[in-house]
Amino acid sequence: MTAIIEARGLSKRYGARPALTDCTLHIPPGHVVGLVGPNGAGKSTLLKLACGLLAPTSGSITVLGGRPGADPAQIAKVAFVAQDAPVYSGLSVADHLRLGAHLNPRWDRAFAEARVRSLGLDPKQKAGKLSGGQRAQLALTLAAGKRPDLLLLDEPVASLDPLARRDFLRHLMETVAEEGTSVVLSSHLISDLERVCDYLIVLAASRVRLVGEVEELTAAHHRIIASRRGADTLPSGLEVVAAEHSERQSTFVVRGVPEAADDWAVEPVGMEDLVLTYMEAGSAAGAGAGAGAGAETGLEATR
Amino acid sequence: MIWLTWRQLRPMLIAAGTVLCAAAVYFIATGVHIRHTYSADLNNCHANCQQVLNDFAASYQNLRALIQLIVQATPALIGIFWGAPLIAVEFERGTHRMVWNQSVTPVRWLAVKLASGALASIVTVGLLSLLFTWWAGPQDKIDTDRFDWNVFGTRDITPIGYALFAFALGALLGLVIHRGVLPAMAATVVVFVGVQVLVATQVRPNLMPAHTATVSVDAQLLSHPVNTTITGSPSGPKVSFKVSPPAGSWKLSQTAVMDGSGAPLPAKAVQDCIEGPSIQSQTDLATCLAPYNPHVGVRYEPASDFWPLQWYETGIHVALAGVLAGLCFWRIRRHRD
Repeated sequence: MTAIIEARGLSKRYGARPALTDCTLHIPPGHVVGLVGPNGAGKSTLLKLACGLLAPTSGSITVLGGRPGADPAQIAKVAFVAQDAPVYSGLSVADHLRLGAHLNPRWDRAFAEARVRSLGLDPKQKAGKLSGGQRAQLALTLAAGKRPDLLLLDEPVASLDPLARRDFLRHLMETVAEEGTSVVLSSHLISDLERVCDYLIVLAASRVRLVGEVEELTAAHHRIIASRRGADTLPSGLEVVAAEHSERQSTFVVRGVPEAADDWAVEPVGMEDLVLTYMEAGSAAGAGAGAGAGAETGLEATR
Repeated sequence: MIWLTWRQLRPMLIAAGTVLCAAAVYFIATGVHIRHTYSADLNNCHANCQQVLNDFAASYQNLRALIQLIVQATPALIGIFWGAPLIAVEFERGTHRMVWNQSVTPVRWLAVKLASGALASIVTVGLLSLLFTWWAGPQDKIDTDRFDWNVFGTRDITPIGYALFAFALGALLGLVIHRGVLPAMAATVVVFVGVQVLVATQVRPNLMPAHTATVSVDAQLLSHPVNTTITGSPSGPKVSFKVSPPAGSWKLSQTAVMDGSGAPLPAKAVQDCIEGPSIQSQTDLATCLAPYNPHVGVRYEPASDFWPLQWYETGIHVALAGVLAGLCFWRIRRHRD
């Protein structure tokens, strides 16, 4: 089956600032993909590259086998809801549904109308008067109503309160479950996505740090708690992702399956822990690499 | 896409339509009345016809000046309120990210928006200009220089060209200036007014080959006191003669006063004549100067050039609008979020 997103050496720079660096991905279809990373890690950039709002600086990306934004047929297959869920504030909810019907060849009117009804939105209400949660729901309705094969959502719940977040994600899952639509949704908080996604991409400092199915990733990683020691004393075959030392104890997060021993304990790592570990390691690496560039910029500014 | 564009422009179009309908009712009602007055005045006057007509024109002068100002401002307003926000509003609110993901390419989106806005601009300004030209017709016949700055650009077809140009200019600036709607609006006004001034002063006089005529400074010319100006200066009095090209034509420039040989008339000759004891009237001055055969050359566009100039100027603006629209397409293909 065609990968939903296939990227090779994909990079995007804004002037001298890298937004996404050397990203290589192959995401199989049928997943709900969580795209996680701190602010400014390149999540929006990756999503915009995937829907054609941005063109890569170098490398290539294909989405569902086609070049993003290449033609109306490609745009019809991919739906994108940008950050803050932009809608036309002067147009009513019903107007937005008509807009969707006029512009999308695969528009599912019955679905969109039923969804608006079940959300309790007043069709005559102007979109500018909706609450943040309702606006996000309207934008999602518009995106899902075009019956895409892939739904891209950029920080869909960032501006919502906890209840609205739960509602939004529940509705999202109901919506995509029926049609088997693939979804990529980004957030800077893994806790937002933990319950809905089964595939994970961790971005930090413009690079992909971790990618894979959630179950495989959590099965592949472990935490080792041992008496204080260096990482080089661990058995070979274990890739150390992070190490932390206190006065008497060392904690390692490793990729691989360590054998339990007398002087150490092995624990599973939860998804949130895992993501945080990779984000931290990635940001530290990015900061190290970026320090030189930062000094240069400072020099330029004083010149 | 057409439905969406119509839906987005609807409030503006309704406003413009309402204003236009009100204007049409007003123009037709008062215009018919004005025409009645005009024919009645013409039928009832005897020896004093010129005076009666001047009085008639004067009674509507302020009203006409006011409406003329509105007609003059309309293309700029279209550029500011239709052109500049057309794309800038979408960028400012991020809605282009939504609409460009509704199975419509940015190029098609832009094409429909530009075409709809251009059509609305043509209809609005075309009707307004047509109505106003008809309404002001009787007065214009009496007292108006058709080539006057304010008149040439507010009658017949030139406003249509201006409106299209202003609309395309606003759209392009809204697309290029990524700082929101207001800066795009401001830039539109500045550039539009600049181009208007440039066209009126530098382009229009050079569109058609100018005609030249030689006007003798004789008793007939000098019998109109307004034509002669005598000013004092340290080197003695200076005299200048204002000459007119054929009626209804557009005077571009005139030369200094020349003598029979084609050289400038010596200042001394004029001075001697003015200060001479026998000069009692303008006629005496003319007689005194006659041996020099004084004359003035004048460059002008004849009245028959009015329509060619209207077409040229409209055509130039339409072509410019086309170029700007082309730039919009070129730019939007390269638009990166």
